[in-house]
Amino acid sequence: MKLQTRTNLNYILFSGITYIIVAVSFYIAIERVIYEEVDRRLLVEKRDFEHFIERNGSFDTRGYFVEDKIDVQVALSPRPIYFGDTLLLSRYDSQLIPFRQVSFDQKIGDELHRVNIRKSLIESDQLLKIITLVMLIVLCAGLFLLYVFQQRTSRKLWQPFYETLGRAKDFNVHQGERLILSPQMIYEFNELNIALNKMTDKILSDYQNLREFTENASHEIQTPLALINSRVEALIQDSGISGMHVAWIQDIHEATMRLSKLNHALLLLAKIENGQFQDAAFLDMKKIVESHLIGMEEMFALKSITVQSNLIEPFMISMNPVLADILITNLLNNVVKHSTKGGTTTIDLTSTRLSISNQGTLLTVDPLKLFERFQKENKATSSLGLGLAIVRKICEISNLRINYEYKEGVHTLTLDKYTQS
Amino acid sequence: MKVLVIEDERVLAEGICGFLGKEGFVCEKVATYKDAVEKIHLYAYDCIIVDINLPDGIGFDLIEALKKVKSTAGIIVISARNAVEDKIRSLDLGSDDYLTKPFHLSELNARVKSIMRRRNFGGVNEIDFEEIKINFNSRKVFVGPREVQLSRKEYDLLIYFISNKEIALTKASMAEHLWGDNMDSADSFDILYSHVKNLRKKLTERGAHDYIHSIYGIGYKFGKS
Repeated sequence: MKLQTRTNLNYILFSGITYIIVAVSFYIAIERVIYEEVDRRLLVEKRDFEHFIERNGSFDTRGYFVEDKIDVQVALSPRPIYFGDTLLLSRYDSQLIPFRQVSFDQKIGDELHRVNIRKSLIESDQLLKIITLVMLIVLCAGLFLLYVFQQRTSRKLWQPFYETLGRAKDFNVHQGERLILSPQMIYEFNELNIALNKMTDKILSDYQNLREFTENASHEIQTPLALINSRVEALIQDSGISGMHVAWIQDIHEATMRLSKLNHALLLLAKIENGQFQDAAFLDMKKIVESHLIGMEEMFALKSITVQSNLIEPFMISMNPVLADILITNLLNNVVKHSTKGGTTTIDLTSTRLSISNQGTLLTVDPLKLFERFQKENKATSSLGLGLAIVRKICEISNLRINYEYKEGVHTLTLDKYTQS
Repeated sequence: MKVLVIEDERVLAEGICGFLGKEGFVCEKVATYKDAVEKIHLYAYDCIIVDINLPDGIGFDLIEALKKVKSTAGIIVISARNAVEDKIRSLDLGSDDYLTKPFHLSELNARVKSIMRRRNFGGVNEIDFEEIKINFNSRKVFVGPREVQLSRKEYDLLIYFISNKEIALTKASMAEHLWGDNMDSADSFDILYSHVKNLRKKLTERGAHDYIHSIYGIGYKFGKS
């Protein structure tokens, strides 16, 4: 629910209740005023009546033509003055008309008479109703106008907020662009923008620092590794070293090379994550796969892997050429590494899909974690365990979706091009 | 032949000079940009090995400086940065090769020799080792008068051997020379073994001596001994 809708709903609910209460109390108050006024007039007429009796000694209702105005009857017992409401049937149409009446006892001659002086309430009743109705209409119109006005102004008032929100949503730390929010007239929004600006600047600088640190650390590691290597190589050339020591030196040498490769792979991952491979070119995956297959022929031959490649049509994709190269290299290396000796590898390629499958035993690694770093199927191999992590990272930034499937002894990795929809 | 090594890591510079020195190069080393500029202007070198990151400057500027004085020296850039942009930039500036640290000294040696060959021999580009003769232009190999048909990898392997005569070569350095660093080492060692075997067979079949010696636990050595 939008804040605006919520506010409006509250507002309408509150106003509605208030208006009903106001209308009811208004009605009651006006009615009271009218009654008081009528009662006062009745008292005046009562005095007039008494005065009339005093002067003439008798009263004749026949001369009084105004409908049901005065009613004089013989009173059976005395009663104090009394105001009351009553309904009387109209003389002309059978309609009940509300009256206010005052009843009092009056001696006419020697007899005690009960006199009822009445006043029709029909006009005041109607007046009251009309006044209340008009008031309600005016109030409702006011409410509606206010609602429209608020709707308009709040849209305008909240505009900077929605702008800030949109910009914040679009903010991407990988792009390294600062979130620039202009100062606002409204204090709260201005504060929000300042806070957001500060926060994103901090995020950017932290991210930048981390990036630089990762890269610098990796580079700094390369130099000592180069030093170790150069010394180890010199030792290998030294003919004065005994056989066992040679083996040790060889171990050091291999470990160093491995460390260096690991470092390179991690650096590559960091660079991909940092978006340092932005320049894309329009490539044909088919050509890349073909050239890699030729380059790796001997690897396949060594493990007697039969390659069945069905490269049907060009697979055009816009991605970084270096990454495309690494992607295919890693996928094919993966096949060589994990394929059973003498197995068959199938490579299918259509314009939107590349699938590479190889025969092999069931994974011991959780297939869901297959693309994580350092998930090695065979802990003993010299494999770094970063190949598929790199593959996944490359896919992520190149609009490719990667899937793994194992079915009847065949592992299949499928790359699908995201279709622009 | 004179080689200038511009590298601020003393141990690495010593390692390079020690290795190249044994190969018959006269090797000088400097550790700073300033000293390098001075040397470049004072002496002529056949090959210059330059590190990109120097304490007081950038190797790229040195390449430019070399091109400005119309130096004919071969230039090999060595860098800890394995970035494609750096490779492209240094080749664009006119360097001949680019090596990422850490590298095998035997690999550096092979590259230096390759550059020397390209520069010094002009039209006649041949090398002899005992009865084996290699023609670089036609990529043909002869044992005596008879040609030996080698595959591309076997040819590369032979060149690597010839460039590193009497040097113990590790399997890792040979695999990397042949396939770059994309190859999984365990698998590539097996292929390397079969390549070496084939090369040895082809050469000896044509009547050459067996110059490829296995060194247990390390790799191979090419030479008469």
